Amino acid sequence: MSTKAKQTDNINKNKCNESIWKKALDKNSEWPDKEEFLDVIYWMRQAIGIILGLSWGLLPLKGFLGLLLFVILNAAVIYVYVNNFHNIDEEEYGGMWEITKEGFMTSFAGFLVTWIIMYTGLHSEKL
Amino acid sequence: MWSDSLLIVFISICTAFLGEGLTWVLVYRTEKYQKLKVEVERQSKKLEKRKEAHGDSLDRQQKKKIEREEERLKNNNRDLSLVKMKSMFAIGFAFTALLSMFNSIFDGRVVAKLPFYPISWIQGLSHRNLPGDDYTDCSFIFLYILCTMSIRQNIQKLLGFAPSRAASKQGGALFAAPQTQFK
Repeated sequence: MSTKAKQTDNINKNKCNESIWKKALDKNSEWPDKEEFLDVIYWMRQAIGIILGLSWGLLPLKGFLGLLLFVILNAAVIYVYVNNFHNIDEEEYGGMWEITKEGFMTSFAGFLVTWIIMYTGLHSEKL
Repeated sequence: MWSDSLLIVFISICTAFLGEGLTWVLVYRTEKYQKLKVEVERQSKKLEKRKEAHGDSLDRQQKKKIEREEERLKNNNRDLSLVKMKSMFAIGFAFTALLSMFNSIFDGRVVAKLPFYPISWIQGLSHRNLPGDDYTDCSFIFLYILCTMSIRQNIQKLLGFAPSRAASKQGGALFAAPQTQFK
């Protein structure tokens, strides 16, 4: 590939990334490409997992309550984002369950890792 | 303790990159894999669209077409897994050796403190080779598995090596298909 072609390719990629950010943050955006929307949900989930893990570790929140709160908050944020923010017809994606499943396990693992590490570092050294 | 857990995160990041790098060298960059991947994705999308359009119709011709395409996709999926298989074995062996090495380094060491009490069938993993009865103590293997679960998949997705949703969805449907046939 020539350098010119590479440069235009990079510019196109940047433009595409910018538009995805814009679409994700704008209310009621159109999503002709389903994969793109599911990717946004996936990465949002990962961010939520890490943010909640850090917060639960800082507080510190312990026990089953922490896990339950994570599951509820994670599902609720995505539900509100899909239904109220973007007004997406969930049937197009195979039902709400398919959207709820998207990236859940990875996000849960990320949440556990950050929660455990924060908790270990800040609250268990004295044990 | 904190340094141990951070070290484990670092180790799993390194092993995830190493694994993906090795798979890239052995599989992803080969022409055969790239061709098959594009083909499987194209076929999965086509099949999904066709099913959406004619899924409920009783038109025999359409059904036959769908079946024929499913068969073709199945064959391509099988070829794709065969291409992956050889290198997966090699990587599997290398990683088992690495894991046993890390296991012996962290043997009997509490690497983290769990903020929750693990349920009984996880305790075997989270308290593996640890002394004492405090089940909130976390072993190397538990933290390593969690790190790998989150980090490896995200790295795969970032690098664009994760299988597409359409392909995995059709793949899953194909695995379920024989059961319905025998009913």
